[in-house]
Amino acid sequence: MKVYFLKRFLELVPIFFAISIIIFVIMNSMPGDPLLQMRMQNPRAMTNDPERMKELREYYHLDDPLPVKYFTWLKSVLTGDLGYSSMYKSPVIDLIASRLPNTLVLTITAWLIGLVFALPIGIISAVKKYSTFDYATTIFAFIGISLPGFWFALIAIIIFSVNLGWFPVSGMATYGITGFWNIFSDRVRHLVLPAFVLGLVQVASWVRYIRTSLLEVLDQDYVRTAYAKGVPDRKVIIKHALKNAMIPIITIIALDIPYFFGGALIIETVFSWPGMGRLMYNAVISSDYNLAISCLMFLAIITLISNLVADFLYVMVDPRIRMGRKGA
Amino acid sequence: MSKFFYKRKLDEIEEKARPVHINSYKQLVWTKFKSHKLALFGAVVLIGVAFFTLLGPLFVEVGYEDMDFSNLFSPPLTEGHPFGTDELGHDVLVRVMYGGRISLFVGFASAVITTLIGTLVGLFSGFYGGIVDRLLMRFVDVMLSIPMFPILITLTLVFGSGIMNIILVLTVFGWMGVSRLVRGLVLSIRETEYVMSARAMGVRNGRIILRHVLPNVIPIIIVSATLNMSYAILAESSLSYLGLGIQPPMPSWGNMLQRAMNYILGTTAGTNPWWLTVFPGFFIFITVLNVNFLGDGLRDALDPKFVSES
Repeated sequence: MKVYFLKRFLELVPIFFAISIIIFVIMNSMPGDPLLQMRMQNPRAMTNDPERMKELREYYHLDDPLPVKYFTWLKSVLTGDLGYSSMYKSPVIDLIASRLPNTLVLTITAWLIGLVFALPIGIISAVKKYSTFDYATTIFAFIGISLPGFWFALIAIIIFSVNLGWFPVSGMATYGITGFWNIFSDRVRHLVLPAFVLGLVQVASWVRYIRTSLLEVLDQDYVRTAYAKGVPDRKVIIKHALKNAMIPIITIIALDIPYFFGGALIIETVFSWPGMGRLMYNAVISSDYNLAISCLMFLAIITLISNLVADFLYVMVDPRIRMGRKGA
Repeated sequence: MSKFFYKRKLDEIEEKARPVHINSYKQLVWTKFKSHKLALFGAVVLIGVAFFTLLGPLFVEVGYEDMDFSNLFSPPLTEGHPFGTDELGHDVLVRVMYGGRISLFVGFASAVITTLIGTLVGLFSGFYGGIVDRLLMRFVDVMLSIPMFPILITLTLVFGSGIMNIILVLTVFGWMGVSRLVRGLVLSIRETEYVMSARAMGVRNGRIILRHVLPNVIPIIIVSATLNMSYAILAESSLSYLGLGIQPPMPSWGNMLQRAMNYILGTTAGTNPWWLTVFPGFFIFITVLNVNFLGDGLRDALDPKFVSES
């Protein structure tokens, strides 16, 4: 077990470096000179003096060849220095630390909403295969994967915020509210729309996975045996079938964690939710180089970690793999 | 005893026992496709959308840049503007038609190109194997674990916006999924008896690929092409919505939504122009939905054995 995970973890290291190279190269081919941008933002601080510009270029290593730049960057990142954001005028690490909790609140809520809806719907539509409910679920699943998330969000805003006035249009909190419960309910009201939009879009694909995976198990001999023994339907499904059906489902759900962060990018932009997604978007748009590259790397790391977690869960819940059938 | 269980089993046995008269693979595919109602529906709607966007503009005299200053923010069904007008008096219906041309073209073109590249890489990698295969697949692994959408945003800034650049951006990172699917399939086809016998008879590799491998890969290629198309349409509209894709005044379904968002809380006149949001988004949704229906039908019809394994 331990050896297996150590091995899997070590496999991630070269992938991590490969990703960092690709991201670094893409970011470096972005147009725009950081120095010119700094000058535009603050025209009085730097003169047009070519000597001074040259000094600054040297100071920021702007004219180094790409490989040298990469190693300079890698060195500073590995020592914990993510650099300074030119747009927000503060260290990148502080920015990420301040935005990450907001994104976590949003994505975890959305994740739970997705799970709460997807599990029962998926189970029912598998158990009642080819029923009206099953067909309706199939259609809804298709609708879910075909909905452009941002459009869904806009329609939700038009209906629930603008016309019905139930929820705020955007943002994460109202300024100037006092009292714990007032603040709490205000936060929740802000959270409802983005979390539901993010979560419900995900329900669609999960429902399909849950259905397929449960159907496969329902065909197994031991399920037939359980029925033959006279075990009640409900018990067969929950105790015998679902337990095994959960194995692939858990993997898929873990593998979808990075999707939530990526999907949060556009939902956060629509709802002006001050999270990582919007931070990343703003960083890329305004070529805030250090910030953008850190955000991208952060997302890539999350992707790698959730792959590892999915693997880990898979092995944990399925003893057959532990026996080495999959080949560690 | 469990009634529902036996009923389910009976249904299945009946289904399997039903005799099917077939003469050829093509007929089988067509029979199966016909019986898939959603897929037929999807095909019909897609043809409808295609005609609407391609031929629609021929029947109206207004262009997508023409403004009607007496009708700003007119609601749908105003005379002459069935879908209403926007803040500059552009006719929304006309813009939806022209925008559809662009969205469909971008979706279709990038689906075709990504599928072509993916197929070539997959065929090559799977058939010849060896170090090239290992390197390519490692590369694909790495690329697939990079967060896709943020990278797309960055790439649009690198390549610039505009139709061709968006297609480029969507293809640069789009071919990996297909290549992996194709490669996996080719690996198993390579070991089949018919390929071996062809080899034994001295058939050249190129011919084996063309005559024996490719036909067996085509179902999976077609299915992933439809998936790629729905992804490309969604991605293009998301990018344009963020202001990075197709640039105004040229309309696309995505950038129409971007402008609509400015008025989502209502206009200064106090009206709420919901039609600016609803129509373009509805067309994205309908198109992607029916591409997915079609893909599902093709998946069932073409070759369930191979495709369902992927």
